[in-house]
Amino acid sequence: MLGLFGTLNLAARSLQTQMTGVEVAGQNLANINTPGYSRQVVNIAASPDITTTVGSEGTGAEVTGIQQIVSSLLNAQIQSQGSTSGYWNAQQTTLQNAQNGLNEFLNGSGATSSTNAAGASTTDSGLSGQLTSLFNAFSSLAASPSTSSQQAVIGAAQQLATTFNQISTQLGSARTAANMSLTSDVASANTLLSDIATLNKQIGTAQFAGGTANDLLDQREQDLENLSKLTSFTTSTGANGAVNINIGGAALVSGNTVNDTLATYDPGNGNLLVQTATGGQPVILTGGSMQGTIAARDGELATMQTNVDSLASNLVTAVNTIQNSGYNSAGGTGNTFFTGTNAATIGVNAVLVNNPSLIQISNSATNTGDSSLALQISQLATATQSGLNNQTFGDYYGTTVAGLGDALSKANTEVANQTAVTNMLTTQRGSISGVNTDEEMTNLMTFQRAYQASAQVVTTVNAMIADVLAMKV
Amino acid sequence: MRIASHSYTDSMLNQYNQLASQQYALQNQVATGLRVQAPSDDPRAMQNTLADLANQATQTQYTANIATLQTRATSVDGVLQSLQTISSRAGEIATSAGSATNSQADLTNYADEVNSLINQVVNAANTKDPSTGKYLFGGTASGSAPFTTTTDASGNVTGVTYNGNSSVNQAQIGAGMTASADIPGANTSGTGPRGLITDSASGADFLNHLISLRNNLNAGNKTAITNTDSANLAKDENNIAYQVANNGVMQNHLTAAATFATTSSQSLSQMISNSSSADLMTTMVQLNKAQTSYQAALQSGAKIMQLSLLNYIQ
Repeated sequence: MLGLFGTLNLAARSLQTQMTGVEVAGQNLANINTPGYSRQVVNIAASPDITTTVGSEGTGAEVTGIQQIVSSLLNAQIQSQGSTSGYWNAQQTTLQNAQNGLNEFLNGSGATSSTNAAGASTTDSGLSGQLTSLFNAFSSLAASPSTSSQQAVIGAAQQLATTFNQISTQLGSARTAANMSLTSDVASANTLLSDIATLNKQIGTAQFAGGTANDLLDQREQDLENLSKLTSFTTSTGANGAVNINIGGAALVSGNTVNDTLATYDPGNGNLLVQTATGGQPVILTGGSMQGTIAARDGELATMQTNVDSLASNLVTAVNTIQNSGYNSAGGTGNTFFTGTNAATIGVNAVLVNNPSLIQISNSATNTGDSSLALQISQLATATQSGLNNQTFGDYYGTTVAGLGDALSKANTEVANQTAVTNMLTTQRGSISGVNTDEEMTNLMTFQRAYQASAQVVTTVNAMIADVLAMKV
Repeated sequence: MRIASHSYTDSMLNQYNQLASQQYALQNQVATGLRVQAPSDDPRAMQNTLADLANQATQTQYTANIATLQTRATSVDGVLQSLQTISSRAGEIATSAGSATNSQADLTNYADEVNSLINQVVNAANTKDPSTGKYLFGGTASGSAPFTTTTDASGNVTGVTYNGNSSVNQAQIGAGMTASADIPGANTSGTGPRGLITDSASGADFLNHLISLRNNLNAGNKTAITNTDSANLAKDENNIAYQVANNGVMQNHLTAAATFATTSSQSLSQMISNSSSADLMTTMVQLNKAQTSYQAALQSGAKIMQLSLLNYIQ
């Protein structure tokens, strides 16, 4: 038999048990909106029985632990997904910058070109239209070799050259932005690696003493998820539940120690890569925003720059080859048309800008009214160029634009898909680890009622003890 | 399935963002009339549209070139008409002068008239293009007057020098198609475009034939006038008639090319529209659908957010 005081102890233990239940429900409700928080449940078990002459008799209930409800499988999937999402998000950002830099958009209004179904006219804002304008200006000059036609040719050529220069600058800025993004990601990753090592230590200390470190585990899980968005990595479990981290072959975190950090380096071409800071070992990235940025920068962005440079270079050569072989309207010669060799440096010869009549479009020093070379240059519009994969200038540029469009379109689709997958996984994890208000309120009421009942036991036993003490023999 | 409370808000925010994004894209399409604005919207459509826009701008340029040639052809036609009149009159004089009833005084009067005709021909052959200020009949050496003359003490033209060449500038009027409204003043090579005043292939040499007629008139050489000058002037008249006809053919050719360029441009407009324009009706229907979904999501979200066990417990 427990007796009156034993029963009083039972009730007191029950009060503590139910109170813990209320506390845990309160903790869950308090963290209902905390990112990465995993709900906790209080594990209650019957207290050990005592053997009496009438058999085993219960001693009430006690808390055996506060358990965090997590799914390691879903956490691992979310980390993996984080790397994929980070990769495509970074690709999208860099390619979006490239698309903006190219500035080749269709406008729904304008003074020329076609009229669409909505009644607006369609024009393009970029290089394509200006390339056509140059060839058309030469065509006009061939048809009517006048001073105004010569000025129109120089004007069209200047506008085209300026656009080439601007695109080259913009693509260079996109590359700089990608490098800055990579540097920023590396700094964030280093902070996370340091945090994870610290958390490893704190968790180890807490668990070594037999305790639980649920909130610290949540924090570490959150850090791992954030790190996965920056780069893919592998983990292994060390002593005292520590998480060891290996990125691209470099063991960066072992237990409580950060062995090395990440750093960017220039391999010599201005396109930053990632290596270990102290060891100087190149890190082979396979996912996350760092690799996404590198892949977009060294892939489509670099291709864009190369193609635009190639376009400019071939245009300079083709136009100059014809123009430089001719004679101006005074029978003179010696002035090249375009200067420069690529998109960054292309320009129109200042001598011709100051005096358009010096354009050399005559096939003979004596036939000063001849404009056959202007006709030849205008016909470059439809001539395939061996230096441009046997495509015309316009087709080559169109293919380049479509290539960028394909890459960005794919990145947009992937970002949408990966967002959907991430949302699905987050919802699934929420169904296991997330806090539900109704559930916690129900738990709160359950524990509250049990607490009230236990308090009633205390009151009853107290009255009984008072009765006993009041007995007069 | 157990649903965490924050899943509602997370999910709702995602849905609101998606629907707002859809509405933005569709509204933008309705406002601009364009389904494709950036390369990433539809890379193939963008590529096709850029090619079509370039082609259309080229067709517009062809139309402008054709207009330039038509203006020049009209100017040339005016000169040809006056040359035809002069040629006709010279032929009449040659025929009339050969008559036995004409006295030397009559022939001298004819010679004076022919002198005037010679000057008219020189002036006509040195006509400038009003739009470019360059000589119409100097070939591609159009910087200086194509025909210069030498005169005697009385001011009568005794010789003519052609300073131009027999080449003409070509202008693009269609894909792989060039044309020229120019006529060289003289072509003694026997090949290429026929010369206006002198042409070895047809035997025309209008000014020298007029000078010969005048000289024979002054000399009273009726035999030469009848046997040689009349025949030569007939060749000149034929050559001018050929140039008139050729100019007419060229103008018809230009009109046909202009029609083709305009038709091509219209066809390209349709292709551009097909590739990049938004179908207004479909887009509006999609926009309404997205708006309805957005409204439904907002309403259902607002209602769900208001409900929890807290509404029912005291």
